[in-house]
Amino acid sequence: MSNSAALAAVKEKLPVKIIEIVEHNPARAYVYIEPEGIVEASRFMFEQCKGRLATVSGVDTRSGIDLLYHWMFARDHQFIMIKTKIKKPFPEIDSIATFLPAANWIERELNDILGVVFRGHPDPRRILMADDWPEGVHPLARDFEGIDKE
Amino acid sequence: MKRTIVPLGPFHPLLEEAECYKLYVEGETVVDIDMRIGYMHRGIEKLSQSKTFDQVPFLVERICGICSTSHPIAYVNAMEDLAGIQIPERAQYIRNIIAELERLHSHFLWVGLAGHFIGYDTVFMWAWKYREPILDICELISGNRNHYAMMKIGGVRRDLKEEDFPQIRSMLDGVEKAANLFTGAVVDDPVIHARTKGVGILTKEDAIAYGTLGPTVRGSGIADDIRRDDPYAAYNKVDWNVITWEGGDVFAKAAVRLLENFESIKIIRQSLDQMRPGPIETEVKAIPPGEGVGHAEAPRGEVFHYVRSDGSSSPVRHKVRAPSFSNIPSFKATCVGETIADVALISAAVDPCYCCTERMAVVERRTDNVLMTGADLVRMSRERTKQIKADLGQETPLDKLAKRLQKGDL
Repeated sequence: MSNSAALAAVKEKLPVKIIEIVEHNPARAYVYIEPEGIVEASRFMFEQCKGRLATVSGVDTRSGIDLLYHWMFARDHQFIMIKTKIKKPFPEIDSIATFLPAANWIERELNDILGVVFRGHPDPRRILMADDWPEGVHPLARDFEGIDKE
Repeated sequence: MKRTIVPLGPFHPLLEEAECYKLYVEGETVVDIDMRIGYMHRGIEKLSQSKTFDQVPFLVERICGICSTSHPIAYVNAMEDLAGIQIPERAQYIRNIIAELERLHSHFLWVGLAGHFIGYDTVFMWAWKYREPILDICELISGNRNHYAMMKIGGVRRDLKEEDFPQIRSMLDGVEKAANLFTGAVVDDPVIHARTKGVGILTKEDAIAYGTLGPTVRGSGIADDIRRDDPYAAYNKVDWNVITWEGGDVFAKAAVRLLENFESIKIIRQSLDQMRPGPIETEVKAIPPGEGVGHAEAPRGEVFHYVRSDGSSSPVRHKVRAPSFSNIPSFKATCVGETIADVALISAAVDPCYCCTERMAVVERRTDNVLMTGADLVRMSRERTKQIKADLGQETPLDKLAKRLQKGDL
């Protein structure tokens, strides 16, 4: 469908195993990988393909938490989503903020709202939720039912 | 040397984001900066899950009072991506016009505030005066100066009336004159050069590493603009340029914004010319299950929306990322090594939050004594300009402009 150089590079050279590629339309492609490969894949997207990490979306589903790393390729007019699923409870994945400052706040936010732990994050403090928000309660998790205000 | 913490924030009520900055300073030099956000976290993403797809544009419009149409555009882009909807050509042009009117008034607002910060209050007053006609046109089109409620999935909610076109065109002529005035005065002003050139430099490498957006990244010489990189609305049907400026300092970011005004005017004019009568929306029967990604170039950079649908009438997940979330972390690269007087200016150059400085206080770490308030910081910044002016010993182009504006001969 798409003839972008970035997607071609991902198909040929992505250094981790690709489970599936879904080309939604010429400007959007979803690449499914195992969570273990996220650091290597992100490094490849940033350093080799010169992508820009727009953000990371986290979606809580019955079977685990979907993480979508949205990489924008300006020259190719394309978005490539690196998509992976991590297990619940205690969702964990390696941090990519170790080499990419752009991911620093994004990962901290995901930790606040979904409880995803990013292993090796350089500064894993709370960023979004209020100081008096209870520990271990994540507002965008499926089992969230509000908090009791005293 | 004794190290002191200068807390900035957390609340500044004018703009969408409230942050707390902690400046670690030695003497007047900033040696480190730490940021904390979330003081105005309103849970929009969670709230969005309880709205129908058609109601969400009204909700996301309220994320920001200035870029109030960028969020709905990004959201409808995401939904149209999800469901594979094509919108009619007339709706594309109307989206263009609304988005560019917003960019124009946002950039004029910024010019005014930047003028206030460096001590040119006349520029502040007049930039805001020239911003008014733009808001009047927004009101004429949508019934509201802000929060236009124009965007819906599959098109726009209101048509533009042919009889309003002459009024819009004459507003553009006036605004173009004003933009020319300010651009000429700022570009030639030696005091502005002294205050802004070489201050708060964001290098190309840092701009890429922090993933900065909008005028912040374009001021570092990188041509990154969603309107060109992933065209939405009718941006690929009109002739315009992506403005960049080398240097990465405060001056470069100011120059990008000033020059972008002319591009916005160009885009609106062409859109008015090229628009043909026709439908303004396609009927959307149902939103299928799936996921969609949409973005839009807001005045401050890319607004990003991700929506997942399960086939019901509300989003299962709606992720929003505003441009300042990516731009503010770059302060770590730009503020360190600068003086406190310049930090207000550097943060203003990213265009996130001016009011934060109103809530700023210098506190000595050990005793918690308040040594300095936000008003003091603005005063310091303005005094510095005064000093540079006195050293220069002559009237600057901006002074001349201020005098002419005061006399009213423009």
